[in-house]
Amino acid sequence: MSAVAAERIIVEDVVRASGIAVGWNGRPVLRDINLAVRPGERLALLGSNGSGKTTLLRVLAGLAAPLEGELRWRGTSLPKGGARCRVVGYVLQAEAPVHFTVRQVVALGLGTDGPLSTPQAAHVARVLADEGLTELADRPCSTLSGGEWQRAVIARALVAEPALLLLDEPTSHLDPARRAVLHERLLRLRDQAVVLATHDLELAALCERVMILGDGRAMFDGAPGDVLTTEALQVSLGVRVRRLDDPQGGPALFRVVGLAPKVMPREDA
Amino acid sequence: MSRSTLALSLLCLAAASVGLSAGPAGWMAPWHAVQRLVDGDVIVASLRAPRVGLAALVGASLGLAGAVMQTLLRNDLADPYVLGLSGGASVGAVVSLLLLPAVPPGLLAAFGAGATALLVRGLAGAPYDRTRLLLAGVTLSSLLTSLTGLLLILAPEDRLLRSMSFWLFGGMGTPRVSLLAVPAVLLVLSFSWLVSRAERLDRLTMGDDVATSLGVDVPVTQRYVLVWAVALTASAVAVGGLVGFVGLIAPHAARRLVGAPHRAMLPATVLLGAALVMGADTVARTAFAPRELPVGLVTAGLGGPFFLSLLRRVST
Repeated sequence: MSAVAAERIIVEDVVRASGIAVGWNGRPVLRDINLAVRPGERLALLGSNGSGKTTLLRVLAGLAAPLEGELRWRGTSLPKGGARCRVVGYVLQAEAPVHFTVRQVVALGLGTDGPLSTPQAAHVARVLADEGLTELADRPCSTLSGGEWQRAVIARALVAEPALLLLDEPTSHLDPARRAVLHERLLRLRDQAVVLATHDLELAALCERVMILGDGRAMFDGAPGDVLTTEALQVSLGVRVRRLDDPQGGPALFRVVGLAPKVMPREDA
Repeated sequence: MSRSTLALSLLCLAAASVGLSAGPAGWMAPWHAVQRLVDGDVIVASLRAPRVGLAALVGASLGLAGAVMQTLLRNDLADPYVLGLSGGASVGAVVSLLLLPAVPPGLLAAFGAGATALLVRGLAGAPYDRTRLLLAGVTLSSLLTSLTGLLLILAPEDRLLRSMSFWLFGGMGTPRVSLLAVPAVLLVLSFSWLVSRAERLDRLTMGDDVATSLGVDVPVTQRYVLVWAVALTASAVAVGGLVGFVGLIAPHAARRLVGAPHRAMLPATVLLGAALVMGADTVARTAFAPRELPVGLVTAGLGGPFFLSLLRRVST
């Protein structure tokens, strides 16, 4: 491979982490994380509570610096100011609703100062329509249900058309129907690279790549078919899982049937 | 200009003209008051107009300070004094009245408020943490309030107690027009700075992580907003004493009228704050004429019921 071709591939990665460690107050929670995500590619981060999924997402969002290693967005560092919204869109796990209307919240995602121009307002209206939020557009966010608010903040993250979308447990507040809509919506994102932290195994199975975090490192990393095995899930998440493969080649279904033997609470405990 | 802003501007004008028309001896028609103002009449132009201007400045400054303090602390119940500024200002004022009886207490009060804000910020430590900031403010405020009480009890003169209690509730004198220049300039500067960054303040209300991910330099914005809020409060305290509740009520009422986005809410807050204190000051000057009430008693009389209804709304 020529040097030019190699450089082109590196630049194509929307985000690329090489041997990074992430943590709190200088103490690492995860070490030696390597990942690269390209446009249209989805990476799911799985792991038990406290395994460092959110900590890693915050670093990928540029909200905290890695403790070691190198992190690049489109081959460089994150831009300052509103331009940042066009590189990374970040949806937090549990964000408190605000007094603004849905339209106002989505417009704030553009990262610009001053009143919206006419084309910007039209773009916001289009995004609201795409996300099925037109009817809710002028409702105060404090009156929305958990799922509606979740869609509003996803629309806020998408409105600037970021190259990288980071989602922290996007299905945690959703009923089955809304969950299905979100799964389908994620599959429709063709231009974005997506990294999502989740406990939802079916959502992880829809992604191109899955990384399971545990013991302060990436325990498993690869295609969902290779990583989401009953053995791997037992070792990494401490659960016994029955995996039901789709004979037509679709993503697998999972059913948690119990705790893995080594973490079963002892009778005398 | 939106309809609400126009209506609030008219309300401000109405409050100002009523303020010019009302005196201890009775009322005159507002157009007569305006005519006498234009003619340079001593009572209207030299006594009432500066007083009305002072009330407007104090109300606008406290409203604006309260609005951004609520944004900064992400707390609906925050007001301009919440970081211990009232305690610091009281100690400054009582020390001034004790040691420098010839000098108006406002200068040392403003200094006390500013110094307390710095101390609270220092005590809260880094990194910036709202809860620590609030707790440090509340703690320091109660310490300084008890110090004020101690100084008042031990002070030899009853006169001090009287002038201090007048000051503590926002007693306004009749100021020299030149004295209003500093708070006026400060209000214009801070208002321009804050409104030009209205969308960043909007993003700040959604939390530090969201604001940062939407391109806001959160630590820098927070630092500037805190400095403006403290400066506005200190300048209002320097010329008008401790006027309560305006800084809490005006932003809440403005949000209800024009919505939460700062670009509309901040101008509405400034107009409402100004109208409210001008109105309250007119009542304070005339209700028990020739005796004058501290304006803070009137704003608190209006603000108390509002605050209680807000508490009920928050808890349900």
